[in-house]
Amino acid sequence: MRPVTRKASAVFLLVLLMLFLVLTSLPRDVAQVRVGPLSLVWWYGGVLAPALAAFAALGRGARE
Amino acid sequence: MRAAGAVLAAWLGPAIWLAVPTLLVAHGTGGLWPGLLIVVAPLLALTLRARPAADDTVAVPLVHVATHFLMVALLIWAGLVLVGDLASRLGVPRWHGIALAAAGGLLLTAWRGAERVVPLLLLVAGVSVLISLVALSATTGLSPLGAWRAVSERPAFVFPAASRWVTEGRDLRLAQGQQPLRFDEAHRVTAAAETTLRTRIREGRQTLDREVPLAAGQSFTLRPGDQLEPTAGARVKFEAGRRVPGAPATGLAWGDGGSQGLVATLVSVGLGVTLLGAGVALFGPPLADPAPRGEIVLVGAGLLATFGALQAWAVYAVLAAPEIFMGGITPDRLIDVPGLALGARPTGMRLQLVLVIAVGASFMASTVALRARLAAVDPAGDGEIGSDLGLWTMVFVVAALASLWHVDPWALSLTALGAGAAVFLPRALLPDAAARREAATVAGVVALAVYGVLLLFGRVAGLARPAGSLLGAFCEQPALLAVPAGLGALWLATRGGRRTR
Repeated sequence: MRPVTRKASAVFLLVLLMLFLVLTSLPRDVAQVRVGPLSLVWWYGGVLAPALAAFAALGRGARE
Repeated sequence: MRAAGAVLAAWLGPAIWLAVPTLLVAHGTGGLWPGLLIVVAPLLALTLRARPAADDTVAVPLVHVATHFLMVALLIWAGLVLVGDLASRLGVPRWHGIALAAAGGLLLTAWRGAERVVPLLLLVAGVSVLISLVALSATTGLSPLGAWRAVSERPAFVFPAASRWVTEGRDLRLAQGQQPLRFDEAHRVTAAAETTLRTRIREGRQTLDREVPLAAGQSFTLRPGDQLEPTAGARVKFEAGRRVPGAPATGLAWGDGGSQGLVATLVSVGLGVTLLGAGVALFGPPLADPAPRGEIVLVGAGLLATFGALQAWAVYAVLAAPEIFMGGITPDRLIDVPGLALGARPTGMRLQLVLVIAVGASFMASTVALRARLAAVDPAGDGEIGSDLGLWTMVFVVAALASLWHVDPWALSLTALGAGAAVFLPRALLPDAAARREAATVAGVVALAVYGVLLLFGRVAGLARPAGSLLGAFCEQPALLAVPAGLGALWLATRGGRRTR
C-alpha cells in the first residue's frame, strides 16, 4: 500500500496548488472577498494551503 | 535534525527566501504563489522518495551530475550577488561583502565537519529575522494580522512625517530599484545638499530629459507623470503626506495584486514546474531512500514558520516603511525596513546589521548543504565532487568575480532551479525508462538543450520578464517546454531500445 498512499499524498499536494490557481482565476474578484482581517486568497495561499501541505506530507515519512 | 536542517539550508538560500517578501511587497497577492510553491516543493519531493530495489544500482548519468553542479554553482553566484547588493546598500564597497561571503563559503568547504554547523547557522538566521519582526511589531503596536488589516484600510501610501526621506533627506541611490521614480501627484523635491536632479518631464505630448541643478535648500516641483532618475549622490527630501512614487494607489489595491490573464497563468504554471522540479532535483527520487517522518515534520514546520515570518515581514514593510516602494522593490531594499520604520536611527541600524547576519548565515549554510546534495547525487564518485577543494575554490572565485556586476538574484536562482527541473523531473516521472542510462542521458541532454535555447532566445529577443505573449511565457519559464521535451525523449529512447532488442 505504501506506493499508493505516497502517490495520493503527492496528488493532494498538487491539488492544493491547483486550487490556488483556480481561486485566483475566479471571476468577480471572489478571491479578494475579506474574511476577517485577510482576503480569501491570502487565507488560502498564505495560511491554509501551506499548513495542509505540511500536514499532508507529515503522514508519508518512513518510520525511523 | 541534521537531515532536516540540510534540506532547509539547501532550499532556503538567501536569494530564494528573500525573494518571498520582495515579491509579496512588489505584487501583493501575486507574491503568494511563489511563496506557496517554496513551501510545497521540498515536501512533494520528500514524499516521492522511494527505496530502490536491491538490484537497482544504476549510476546517475554524467549529464545529471553536471546539471546538479551547474545548479549549485549558479545558486552560490545568486547568493554572492545578493550579499554584494546588501554591501552596496549599507555603503560598503560591493566587493568587500562578496569577498567576505566567498571566503566564508570556502572556509566551510575546507572544513570536513562543516555539516555539523548547518543547524546552528539556520538558527542564527531564523532568530535574526525574528528579532527584526518583534521590533517591527513593537514599533507598529500591531500583530501581523492587525498589520495586514491596517494595510488594507490605507487610503494611500504617503511619506510619514518622521521619515528620514522627509526630515533629513537621503541619497537617491537608496531608491535605486528597477524603475525610475514616477510621480502620480505634484511633489516638491528639496535638495538636502547641492545636487543635480535628472528628470524626465512631460510637456504637452512631448517628454523632455532635463537636468535640474539645485543648491542646498532649493526645491523643484515634479508634476503627475514626471519621472526622477534615482541618481547616486543626489541627496533630496520629499514632502510629508504626499504619495510615495511607485506605490500602489491604496492598501486594498496592493492586496488585490491585479488580475491573472492567460499569459500570466501560463507563467505561474511554469514557475510551478520550475520550483517543484527543482525540489525533485535537490531532494527527490535521485536521492533514493525515503525520508524519515521526523525529517518531514521538521522540514514542514521550518517551511511553515519561514513562510509565515516572511509574509509578516512584507506586511510590516508595506505598513511601516512605504518609502520602500520608491524605484521598485529589490531584495536588498528589504534590509532598509527596520531603518525606515523605527524612529531611533541607532536601533534601526543595529537591526539592519542583524538582518545582514541572517543573510550571511543562511548563505553559509546553503553552500554547505548544496555541496552535500551534489555529493549525494554522485554516489559513483564517493561524493568527492562535494568536497573537492580545488573545484570549489574555482567555483567561489568565478562566482565572486561574476557577482561584481549586478544581476537579479531571483532570476538567476530560477535559471538554476529550472535547469535542475528540466533534467531531473522527466527522470522522476518515468523512473523505469530512466533506469536505462543511455535513455536518461539522451533525455537529459535534450531537455537541457531546449531549456538553454529558450532561455537564450528570451534574453536576446527581450521576450521574457515580464512575458507579454505565449512565446514570452515559455521563454520566461523554459522548464515548461524543456520538461515535456525530456519526457518525450525518454519515451522515444525507451521505445527505440525495446525495438532493437
